[in-house]
Amino acid sequence: MAFGARARMINPRLGTYFSIFAALYTALFLLVLIFEQLHFHEYLLRAAFLAGPIIIYAVIGLCVGTNEILGYFAAGRRVPAAYTGLLLGACSLGGTFIVAGTGAFFFAGFDALILLIGTLTGFVIMAIALAPFYRKFGAFTVPSYLGRRFESRTLRVTTAAVAAVPMLLVLSAELTIGGGVAQRLVGGSANGLILMLALAIAVTTGAGGKRSFTWSGVAQSIALFLALLGVATTVSVIVTSLPIPQLANGPMVRGLVRNEVNEGLQLVNVWPLAFQLPHEGFATLTKPYTQPFGAIGPLAFIIGIFAIATGISTAPWLLPRVAASPGVYEARKSLGWATVFSGLALLTISSVAVFMRDFTLDAVMSERLGPLPQWLYQAAADHMVSFDQAATRLGFDSLKFDRDGVLFALPMAIGLPSAFSYLLLAGALAAALVTASATTVSLASVLGEDVVQGMSWEPPSSQRRIWAVRGFIAIVAFCGAALSIAAPTDPLRLVLWALSITGASLFPVMVLSIWWKRLTAAGAILGVLSGFVVAALAILMSESGMLSISSAIVGIFGLPVSFAAALAASLLRPATDRHGLEIVRDIRVPGGEILYDREMQRLQLRKQART
Amino acid sequence: MVPGAVRGAARGNGADGMIERKERKPYWRHTKWQVLASIIPFLALVIVLPLYAEQLNANRFLGFPLGYFLAAHGFFVIALITVASYVNRQNAIDHWHGAHEDM
Repeated sequence: MAFGARARMINPRLGTYFSIFAALYTALFLLVLIFEQLHFHEYLLRAAFLAGPIIIYAVIGLCVGTNEILGYFAAGRRVPAAYTGLLLGACSLGGTFIVAGTGAFFFAGFDALILLIGTLTGFVIMAIALAPFYRKFGAFTVPSYLGRRFESRTLRVTTAAVAAVPMLLVLSAELTIGGGVAQRLVGGSANGLILMLALAIAVTTGAGGKRSFTWSGVAQSIALFLALLGVATTVSVIVTSLPIPQLANGPMVRGLVRNEVNEGLQLVNVWPLAFQLPHEGFATLTKPYTQPFGAIGPLAFIIGIFAIATGISTAPWLLPRVAASPGVYEARKSLGWATVFSGLALLTISSVAVFMRDFTLDAVMSERLGPLPQWLYQAAADHMVSFDQAATRLGFDSLKFDRDGVLFALPMAIGLPSAFSYLLLAGALAAALVTASATTVSLASVLGEDVVQGMSWEPPSSQRRIWAVRGFIAIVAFCGAALSIAAPTDPLRLVLWALSITGASLFPVMVLSIWWKRLTAAGAILGVLSGFVVAALAILMSESGMLSISSAIVGIFGLPVSFAAALAASLLRPATDRHGLEIVRDIRVPGGEILYDREMQRLQLRKQART
Repeated sequence: MVPGAVRGAARGNGADGMIERKERKPYWRHTKWQVLASIIPFLALVIVLPLYAEQLNANRFLGFPLGYFLAAHGFFVIALITVASYVNRQNAIDHWHGAHEDM
């Protein structure tokens, strides 16, 4: 349908613009590479890699600023499927899954596949059960959708309050990771850098809301993929002579299987509900790479997959993305792209972990092969590895790796110039920025739309709506920074908490609101609240040691409670609401007008009739 | 070009491109079966595949232990095929029942 009405809405120059960005980014890398060989000031090069991309993102964000409601809240509903998918993929991973996820693969090996399987399952559920219908409805935020779907202001405000918690947790996690990465890049205090990142996010997204976030976010996602794939491919070519890191690491995995147990890594068995993804900070390797269920028990593995999947599929910072695609068909297709991009990134970081495991194995076996490799000393100087430098022979138990440094040790381990390390750091920073911006903008829209104006359906003038959200963007960015400075917590844990809280509180009601006609407003409110309360209590109890299941997955036990509460309340007090039934019927059919717009027009007509 | 496109056009959808009333029930039944057919095998695989990874690891493929390879690369491909086939089928269903968006 190249000449259809909707095809014309898409900006035909998008490809040109982002090719220019990719070229700029590559040029920055090549320039830094050249200047590094000319022994230019190292600090200036590092600062260029921090400030250069951030300035470009901010310029993109400011240039696409807008004062139109549709542009500000849904990027004009004209973001093509591939770009929506790229953003969804990058936002679902964020800096946490990229940086801490590499560490998780490095330490837990097979068991870290929970991240990959969970994310992909989340996108499959989203594609099939949620996204097309959400796009048909066309609401800008998840609470607006639920509120309008059930015509209940209480539900709207309740959902907004509940959804704000996981979004704030993710924002804090991403800023913590981003601060850590920026600190590795330029040094200085992490807290100052976190504040600077929050400021950068506010400046980038304030002018155009979703629209600014969309186009600066696409640039950030491209930066992430260029960095990650560029470095991993380079390493893969050097080590295996094949430019496909995701597939070419097979023989190295075989080497790991053959030698790790001989060198002292014992097969471990844990109880079925154990969940021990590596914590923040330094740790030694404990289990062989490919052994399943040495860190996460089989039962916890399955539960964890569903905790991540349900969280990703209803995440209030991801789902509204599809509202910006031009139609229902594009919304479906964009989830296909999201699967491609997130899967590609996660397979790449798993290959990075395999390369690092292989280099570590070489170091451990180095007594027979020669002296300790040089990269270990360099990585130790950069606080990525710690070991007894006087020792001549290292075992797996005397080598400690920083979970969040494993990714950045890769270019060092193969002896690539430092410019590759900077590139990787800038890519990880872009990943942290894209998810932090997504949560900031989504949370600000939820606060500005559904909390401040939650009790009235008739929206105030568009200027007031937009300025309210602009104010909240600044407040949210600052609050996120304050949270990560005041209460620094392991980012991976924070994200897992956020996903399980989302899965427990929003997933049942979101799915039922489309697939079960008889769900009532009271049932929905009870479902959201009970799921949230159980999830939050379970996490608190697990953290205080009253439950022996890890807090990372325990929140998902709120999901069955929420399902049961929503079903019971709707069945015990059934309500027939003709308007609600009409809306469900229309949500289920892709054709026809966008429901949210229709509802808003109806409200306006009613308002005019009254005056 | 799916035959449904012609069929839907021939039936003369309403002026606003909406699906005909009596077509809604068959459309939703069709959609429900498609969704179940896409999601149930996939979720079954999600639960079963990791549990058998240990036994599968005895075999090799491209140097990878098979269980690891299937749980990582295999799963990626399966997820992609699931979404792609769902999008394709569901789109055909929309056209068949005249429920598609206006192009």
